[in-house]
This record gives sequence, C-alpha cells and structure tokens, in this order.
Amino acid sequence: MSWALKVDGLGRVYGEQGPRSLPGTGPEHGTSVSPATGAVVAAWDVGFEVAPGEALGIVGESGSGKSTVMRCVAGDERPSRGSAYLSAYDDGRTDVLALDDGARRRLRIDRVAVVYQDPAAGLDLDTSAGGNIAERLTAAGGRHFGRIRERAAELLELTEVPLSRMDDPVRTFSGGMRQRVQIAKALANRPPVLLLDEPTTGLDASVAAGVLDLLRNLLERLGVAAVVVSHDFGVIEMLTRRVMVMQHGRVVETGLTDQLLEDPQHPYSQRLVAAARG
Amino acid sequence: MNVLEIRGLVKTFTLHTIDGRTVGALHGVDLDVARGEHVALAGSSGAGKSSLLRCVYRTYVPTAGRILLRTSEGTPVDLAALPDSEVADLRGRELGYVSQFLRAEPRRAVLDVVARAGAARGMDPEAARDSAATALRRLGIDERLWAMHTTVLSGGQKQRVNLAAGTISPPRLLLLDEPVSALDPVNREAVLAMIADLTDAGVAVLSVFHDLDAIERLATRVVVLEEGRVAADGPPAAVLRDSELNLEVAR
Repeated sequence: MSWALKVDGLGRVYGEQGPRSLPGTGPEHGTSVSPATGAVVAAWDVGFEVAPGEALGIVGESGSGKSTVMRCVAGDERPSRGSAYLSAYDDGRTDVLALDDGARRRLRIDRVAVVYQDPAAGLDLDTSAGGNIAERLTAAGGRHFGRIRERAAELLELTEVPLSRMDDPVRTFSGGMRQRVQIAKALANRPPVLLLDEPTTGLDASVAAGVLDLLRNLLERLGVAAVVVSHDFGVIEMLTRRVMVMQHGRVVETGLTDQLLEDPQHPYSQRLVAAARG
Repeated sequence: MNVLEIRGLVKTFTLHTIDGRTVGALHGVDLDVARGEHVALAGSSGAGKSSLLRCVYRTYVPTAGRILLRTSEGTPVDLAALPDSEVADLRGRELGYVSQFLRAEPRRAVLDVVARAGAARGMDPEAARDSAATALRRLGIDERLWAMHTTVLSGGQKQRVNLAAGTISPPRLLLLDEPVSALDPVNREAVLAMIADLTDAGVAVLSVFHDLDAIERLATRVVVLEEGRVAADGPPAAVLRDSELNLEVAR
C-alpha cells in the first residue's frame, strides 16, 4: 500500500438524496443545484490517494465543493456516499467514513488532523496555547504533567511560537500566531494525515508568508500525507506536488502542480489559471 | 544504451479561453538520447524546442506519442502515459530540469535551496550541504550570498543557483533550457565546464542553447527542429554547417 489516505467515490448532497437529484448538475450544466429536486450536489464521485510525505492540492472557486470534500474526510460532516481509508487505521482495510461518531472523533486525536482557516475552529481561544496542545495530548492518553508540558513546548518551538507566550490565552495572540498554535495542536500526536483548509487565507500578506514557510518546512520534514484546500495558487504551488481541480462539485482535472499552472487542460482550469496569473 | 526514446511525439494546445482554438507545437518528433550523450536542440524560436523539454518533464501534457525513459532500475517507463504520482517520484533522481528562470523558492536561503534539492534526492543532509557548497563555489557564487534569500540574487546568480540545485546528485536524464542565457563570459565558462563534466560522468543531457558556440563545445549530437518537426539530426559540426544559414537567418 503506497498511500496514507485513500478516498473513493465521495459524494455529498444537501437535500433529497435519491438519484433524481443528480441529472442536470455538474460542470457541463453549469450548476450544482438539481433542476428536479433543488438539492445541492456539493461533491460527487471524488476520489484520490495521497502518499506519505506527499501533499495534494484541491483548487476551485468557492462553491466548487473543495471544502465539502475536506469536511467529509475530516469527519466534520457525513458524506452521502463514498469511502475513505487510512493506512494507519486497521491497515487501510476499514472504511473510516462508515465508523460511528465516537470512533470518528477518536481518529482526530492521532490519525487525521485538521488545520482550519479560522483558528477559533480548531482552538479554545480562552485556554492558553500550552493548554490547547495539552488537551490533544491528554486525549491520546498522556497523563504525566511534566512530559505533556515538555512536548507542548517542543511543538510551540517547532511552529515558532515564543515559549514566553505558552501560558497566555490564545485570544491574546495575533492571527498569525493563533494559526501557528493551531498547527502545533494539529501535529501534537504526530498524525500521519494532515488536512489544511485555506490555512493562510485571511492573514496579512507578510504574516501569511511566514505561516506558509512554516508549513512548507513542516511538510518537507515530517513526512505526513497532506491535503491542501486553497483558492490561492501561490499556496498550492509552494506546498503541493499534485493537484485536483473542482467545479460544481465534480473533479474536472487532476495533474502535477506545475503542469496545471503551465498547461491546464480543462476549460475551467484554463480560466482559473488565467485569472490567477493575470 | 538509450536513456530516452521519443517516438511520434505530438503536442497541441487547445485554448478554451480563445474559442477553443488549437495551436500545434510538435508534430510527430522522434528522438533518442543515450547515456553520456549530450543532444542539443537547435532551431528558430517557436520551433518547439522548449515544448519538447517540457513534454519530457511532463510540465506539458503530451497529446500523442511515447516518451520512454529507461530508469536506473532498467525498466523503460512511458512518461507520456505514466500516472502523475509516478512522474513526481521520478523527478529529481531520474529526471532533472533546469529552466532559464529560478522556480519560485521564495524566502529560502541560497545554500538551503541547493542542499534541499540534494536531500530530496536521497542524499544525507550533511553530505548534501557539503556538495551544495562545492557546487556553489565552482559556479562562482560568492559565499557571502549563501545565507541570503534567492530573491535578492541577480538573474545570472539565480541561473547558477538553479543549475547547482538541478545537478547536485545528478539525475539520469538532465533537461537544460537556456542555462547560460543570463551569464557573463567568466561565469558562462564555469557553467559550460560543469555541464561537460556531467556528460563525461554518464548523465544523458537534452538541452536548448541559443548560442551555437555552446552547442559546438558541449553537444555530441545536434537535432534541428523546424515548426515542430525534426529537420536534421547528426554530429554537431555537420549539422551546424548544413543548417548554419537557416539558424543564422532565424537569429
């Protein structure tokens, strides 16, 4: 098995679930809304594999379904259909999307970690930076106070957060620093799969660049399998080696990242790249 | 032994943003590069030289034809049909590409860029730093620049850093697209000497140079492209003599 994460036939429909909702949706129809039922086919027939140490990008405009795919894989949402496998869970034999809620939540402790665009989605802002990380460590069974603090300090150092701020509530941190704490927490139990949802969107350009550099170095060093959702081609170009383009809930093109930027094949990809490159 | 065998390579661009217009870049190219051979592509601009390199590296998606790369494991793989992830795995170790411009590695130090390229090809990180230092020294990159970000470098410095990164732990097949275009005579000499050494060490090189002098010095064979087709293929002296007039006019 060469993958750390494998997703097959993933679909998410909001509204009527039956087959009546599919016809008339997708890129060739220019919409993800079913003319027959009004259901929104947010994602359909999405599949991909990510190897350890590899980063896969998902690009597309808002509403293309890229974040829906991410949320379904992360377990924040139940897909309408499809399956996902982790090599680190039952040797990749069990469809983790079919697990019950409790089991899915436990995957998030040490098998799959998520970094959200909004640090508040991944952190308790009223808790200290060290406390946020400690929570994730204790969830994995950590009981020894000294060791937990030591590991939390190590993670903050890894993500370049000054140790002097370890005991300050995250609410008092700047946006960029909050994002670094969120990354530290995500990495706490050395998850083999890391999902990044617009990790630098909303940050000032210079702050975003710092977080991006940090992620680039971490992905190179840690050997995790990463999925990076972003509408920003600069982020995709720096972090990923392969990419998937989504439009109206469907994958319209997959390719090497430099190939997508230099020789996009699908009409939609060509428009996206032309718009990004000016 | 051929490291690269290209057969019937066709590349057509379909421009969906301009009424689906098609533009042909390559119209059935056959070309071989053997181990230790340096094949230089010649021809006027727009003849398809860079497109050919990019198809081999898979930055461009070939439209038709086969691009067989015999990897160090001996098995030929068709780069035109290989899944993306397998192409990505071959890049670096088996397949290297040095373009005219330094690919965006913003906010990263010069020595780091080169050393990481070596580490990515499986070199021990410490050894990679040593090799990176040797390469940068040889290419005349002042040691005071090594800790600086690549963005502060001049065009010619970037080009040499790019070459150092592309040739540290040399790949089996090296694609060079105008690697000396921005260099002054002294640095150009250093780069040409380094490329000559790579061929001597057995690396298969497929290159595009815009100056005939570099081609004459480095190439073991020259392939002339005209409008996306092979117009001549043979020893540099003979090919350049026969097509010199055309090349001169083209320039």
